Amino acid sequence: MSMVVANGLTHRFGRELALDGVDLVLDTGEHMAVLGDNGAGKTTLLRILATALRPTSGRLEIAGLDAFRERRRLRHYIGYVAHSPGLYPALSATENLEFFCDLQDVSRSRVAEALEALGLASVAHRRASLLSRGMQQRLAVARAILHEPRLLIFDEPDASLDADATEVLGQVMKGRTAVIATHDHALANRLCPRTLVLRHGRSLGTATHLRVVR
Amino acid sequence: MNPFRAAIAVARKDLLSEWRTREMVPALAQFVVLALLIGNFGFQIDSRSAPSIAPGILWLALVFAGLIAFGRTFAAEREQSSLEAMLMTPASPVAIFAGKALAASALLILCEVVLLPALSLFFGTPFSAELVIAVLLATIGMASLGCLFAAVVARVRARELLLPLLVLPLWIPFIVAGGQAVQSAMGLPGSYDQAIGLLVDFDILFVVLTSLAARFVLDE
Repeated sequence: MSMVVANGLTHRFGRELALDGVDLVLDTGEHMAVLGDNGAGKTTLLRILATALRPTSGRLEIAGLDAFRERRRLRHYIGYVAHSPGLYPALSATENLEFFCDLQDVSRSRVAEALEALGLASVAHRRASLLSRGMQQRLAVARAILHEPRLLIFDEPDASLDADATEVLGQVMKGRTAVIATHDHALANRLCPRTLVLRHGRSLGTATHLRVVR
Repeated sequence: MNPFRAAIAVARKDLLSEWRTREMVPALAQFVVLALLIGNFGFQIDSRSAPSIAPGILWLALVFAGLIAFGRTFAAEREQSSLEAMLMTPASPVAIFAGKALAASALLILCEVVLLPALSLFFGTPFSAELVIAVLLATIGMASLGCLFAAVVARVRARELLLPLLVLPLWIPFIVAGGQAVQSAMGLPGSYDQAIGLLVDFDILFVVLTSLAARFVLDE
């Protein structure tokens, strides 16, 4: 069964065309990397897939539901990590996650599990502002899995993650559909059997990782 | 998803962040005390003129403290890039807006806790329950409007300039009705009940309108 079906996704910021008719089908449990230079449209595509941004035109279905009519319902299914971790610096790692448990309407008991899964148990009570950039990124990933989403969307999660964290990322993605935007071809090859290449907002097609041509 | 739970969670998070950082309340409290001091030395005040001058100083201090308090509510979220994470949850934008307005109101009320007794001390005006009720009622409506426009301008670079331009004209009904209520509470002629009735009407109107608008302002 397909988890994501996108047809002709197009987005304009004013006169600028950020995404130009991207088609995409992603099966349940499939992992796909989105590659492309800066300004290629990766973040725009990911934000549309995460339902954070409405496309100018095109159709998107996630888990068989219209992504924009059923947006609020789909938020239970999607875990999104943006390029910036977006944490509350004055709150501890635990408090950050507890807050999102309340908004996600899930039990706060999930916090300890998520911190453990991301290797953050030892810094659970440290303020987010005192965590390294890599740890902050891990905490953002922990936040994205609190509600056990079926679809994970990561925007350049490797920007400040070490090699260990990449392994953890692989663990987190297991059993879930995932889309990762990255500049790192090695990471894309390691985590995702399929790759979509974007250039100037257009899809240059998808390929298995050994046959990516830029 | 229970919207009350979400609103309380947002308000609690904002107040906890403020408690840890103490970014706003000490500065606001200092600001209102300084405003009163300037008013006290800037005017020739005696027991007869105090009830006429004190309400004006009170509302000036409240309006400017409110602009600072409400202006920060969404700007901080934008700067931390945390607003999108919050909006990506199933919690309704209205609940998120209500939580933020609640927290900003609580901060302004904390300033009022300093402002009202200080006003009484500097100007020798009576400190009464009527005065507190009038100021609290105005705070509710001012908070809902202030937070809505703070969300609108949060993504704009010149937000500090835009917020007063958008909000001040809409705060005028609260300043007029609130000013009348405060003057009556300080012993000047005028109907206190009528002014309070107006404040309640404005509160209901603007809380409903801003809650409806919040959905469109916060979505995307």
